[in-house]
Amino acid sequence: MSKTWHGVERASYVWYPKIDYSKCTGCGLCLLTCGNDVFRWSDQKGLPVVANPGSCVMGCTTCAKLCPEDAISFPDDPKHFLKQVIIKEKVFLTVKKELKDRLDKHPDHRVSAEDVEAWKKAEAGERSARRG
Amino acid sequence: MPGEAKPDFSKWHGMDRNAIKWGPVIDETKCVGCGFCVVQCSERRNVFGYDEQKRKAVVLDPENCMVGCNNCQVACLWDAISFPDASGIRDLAKQLVESGKAKEELEERLKKNPGLKLELPP
Repeated sequence: MSKTWHGVERASYVWYPKIDYSKCTGCGLCLLTCGNDVFRWSDQKGLPVVANPGSCVMGCTTCAKLCPEDAISFPDDPKHFLKQVIIKEKVFLTVKKELKDRLDKHPDHRVSAEDVEAWKKAEAGERSARRG
Repeated sequence: MPGEAKPDFSKWHGMDRNAIKWGPVIDETKCVGCGFCVVQCSERRNVFGYDEQKRKAVVLDPENCMVGCNNCQVACLWDAISFPDASGIRDLAKQLVESGKAKEELEERLKKNPGLKLELPP
């Protein structure tokens, strides 16, 4: 089954990290942080490789933000990039359905803002109690 | 909160997650309640809740937020979500490299999952 992003064919868009090997020191943090199996590792060179670009989540730049050498780049202006996709593909029709599904599956995430405030207060109370 | 046991995100590469300043903040005056952030966040982490009466997203489990990820902010067409500056987490990343922790974890990961190894053509 082909990958989709809120109903959009993932393969229709070019979104993945590019490694500048003149900067990369092979620390491996990109591979360690990616939850989507985008990177592989070359033992010979001691460097990461972008092996599954199509698995990269559109809009995600976590590896680039963490890279201590600033060696990873993505398409310029991620927000603009996603905006074009969202509008062109009418993504909100899918998002509406996904929201309902998510809340049905995780009913404790169907909340009221007042609940959240109450939890925050209770938590803050617990923290200060722990500090003594 | 009610619900079944959830994955444990209390540590980030050995550091206490709740000591790391990284997570979304919603500006309620800008949020139109489209719910994109809720479903843009992975189901495993599920940082957001949603208030159907008010039609607003709410940050429910900020400490589940993956350090470095701001997908929700990027996808929000109304600019209703903000994050701390990324320089703080990059400093933490540098610490992980300098302390040898990153190397240690990488070796462990490759040992556990040799399929991650891929040789480039010469």
